[in-house]
Amino acid sequence: MPKRSNGASRHDGNGSESAGSPAPVRSFWSGTITFGLVSIPVDLFSGTRPRQTSMKMVDKEGHALGREYHCSKEGRKLKQDDLVRGYETESGEVVVITDEEFESVAPEMSRDIELRRFVPFAQIPPFYYQRPYFLAPAGRSAKAYNLLAMTMERTGQVAIGAFVMRGQEYLVAILADNGVLRAETLRYADEIRTPDVIGLPKKKKAAAKKVQQFAKAIEALKSRSLDVSELEDRQAEALQQLAEDKQTRGEGVIKTRGLEEEDADAQGAEIVDLMEVLRKSLAKNAVVTTASNTPSPGQAARPARSAGHERGGKRASAVRRAKSKASAEEDLAQSSKNELMKMASELDIAGRSKMDKRELVSAIRRAS
Amino acid sequence: MTRAIWKGHLLIGEHEVPVKLYSAVEDRKVHFRLLHEKDSAPVEQHIVRKDTGKEVAKEDRRKAYPLTRDTAVILQPEDLESLEPPASREIHLCRFVASTLLSDQWYDRPYYLGPDGDEDDYFAFAEALSNKKLVGIARWVMRKKRYLGALHLNDGYLMMSTLRRAEQVLSFSNIEVAKANAPQESELKLAEQLVSSISGDFEPELWQDEHRKRVQELIDAKLRGAKITPLKRKPKPREASLADALKASLAQAREKKVA
Repeated sequence: MPKRSNGASRHDGNGSESAGSPAPVRSFWSGTITFGLVSIPVDLFSGTRPRQTSMKMVDKEGHALGREYHCSKEGRKLKQDDLVRGYETESGEVVVITDEEFESVAPEMSRDIELRRFVPFAQIPPFYYQRPYFLAPAGRSAKAYNLLAMTMERTGQVAIGAFVMRGQEYLVAILADNGVLRAETLRYADEIRTPDVIGLPKKKKAAAKKVQQFAKAIEALKSRSLDVSELEDRQAEALQQLAEDKQTRGEGVIKTRGLEEEDADAQGAEIVDLMEVLRKSLAKNAVVTTASNTPSPGQAARPARSAGHERGGKRASAVRRAKSKASAEEDLAQSSKNELMKMASELDIAGRSKMDKRELVSAIRRAS
Repeated sequence: MTRAIWKGHLLIGEHEVPVKLYSAVEDRKVHFRLLHEKDSAPVEQHIVRKDTGKEVAKEDRRKAYPLTRDTAVILQPEDLESLEPPASREIHLCRFVASTLLSDQWYDRPYYLGPDGDEDDYFAFAEALSNKKLVGIARWVMRKKRYLGALHLNDGYLMMSTLRRAEQVLSFSNIEVAKANAPQESELKLAEQLVSSISGDFEPELWQDEHRKRVQELIDAKLRGAKITPLKRKPKPREASLADALKASLAQAREKKVA
């Protein structure tokens, strides 16, 4: 298995990834939904836009800052390949878990989502919802994809499954949303505390008169619809305003070239043009909007992310990848087509120029 | 017993209910430390200037807000302070809506609200809310940050789930399936049968984090000094036509039921 080169730039910012693909689109995970014996290859993308407040890391003068890992003993800078997972027991004993060991834990789950049971969506309490993703058909799976989406819409049910992404297992509900399959990762039952565990007091029968008073108060605030203005990000608006004012005054304006995300978790949260993904794989007239109906931050408000971020965030996201040490298998499936092409050429795979992403992945798996 | 992370009071019109906030999520992840492979020494993260490689101390670091494709504005500590919302202990219930108006995509993190002192009002309000099948849309400020939340119930107790912002939540429309990719009615019928053969109730206790368990077993085995043999992957089933695969799946599902 060829190791991914650290910080290799894959997209040129204009997104000329390969012929006919206008935007650099990279999925978090690629794998196959198995529904009985039907398999549906899919790509998984983030189902939310990031908040606008993810900022870049600079020093007082605006020089670009970056993260480095140093050995606490030798004091020198380490490369991704020098890092390994360690588990510390309560008694302070440290066990080293190699990548190979970690990756061998659940190999099948890193490429498949097996649908285990169909359930009515309304039965899933909201505190199970963790994070939304959306699924796009990969390769030639559009028909099977549509079949699953339409069947779920007709029956009003969602499917429960599980898969492994970036070294962690996720319980997931796959649901159909206006012809698009979405995946909502769910918490496991043992991750949700009970009122008993928290130590909340025993339930009490309330006085009917008090219940009535509160019922009245609730009724007075009842509304048939959501008011989007109540759901917008006021903090982000205020921040945007402040930044614009500073720009107008010419205060602290710098070039973003080479800047990294300030929040380590925000790194790699790449903006995907969902519309483009849907157009390519599913429908010509797809429309994607945010609940506030404002131009999505990836497109208008924050163009810096789609290009500059792609380049600037690379080394950081490679380090972060080292940190999460996702399985090599999964990493492969998450690689961009350019990256896969590079690997394929290193491995001298015949016919690689005509292969699509999926074919490349399987050819590299066979060859390495 | 879990410690409360914050105290405040719910404002429902003219009514006030004092509450304590508790995280409803228990972290079960297996946490690793990054080590240097060669000497197993822990790894330290350094923040450095990219051009010089020199380490930059925390007080000399700043955040820059990107405004356009290639410009950003450096924010000073006083800029960020000026944006801090005024401290408050009030959780404002803006309105109550049908819970179906908020899709799963909005929900971020759940917290329990427990009574702070007076229990009567707390349980009276919880009962009133449970009778209505509504969720409350709430706003509050906690530790210098603004929050948006949905107030709902779990097992007769109040729960507040923080919500994502309108700008983050995506919706789709106008998805028209291309003719060539439209499943046939007969395939849809088969798929519906297959769905009903494996449908049931949402029983979260049934599903456990297998991966986490296996990682823990791996760690335990290594602690005992056992030898590790990696698991083999299963071969992939052969590809069949959609209709054939559906029929075969149905047959399989029926067999399972009989067995």
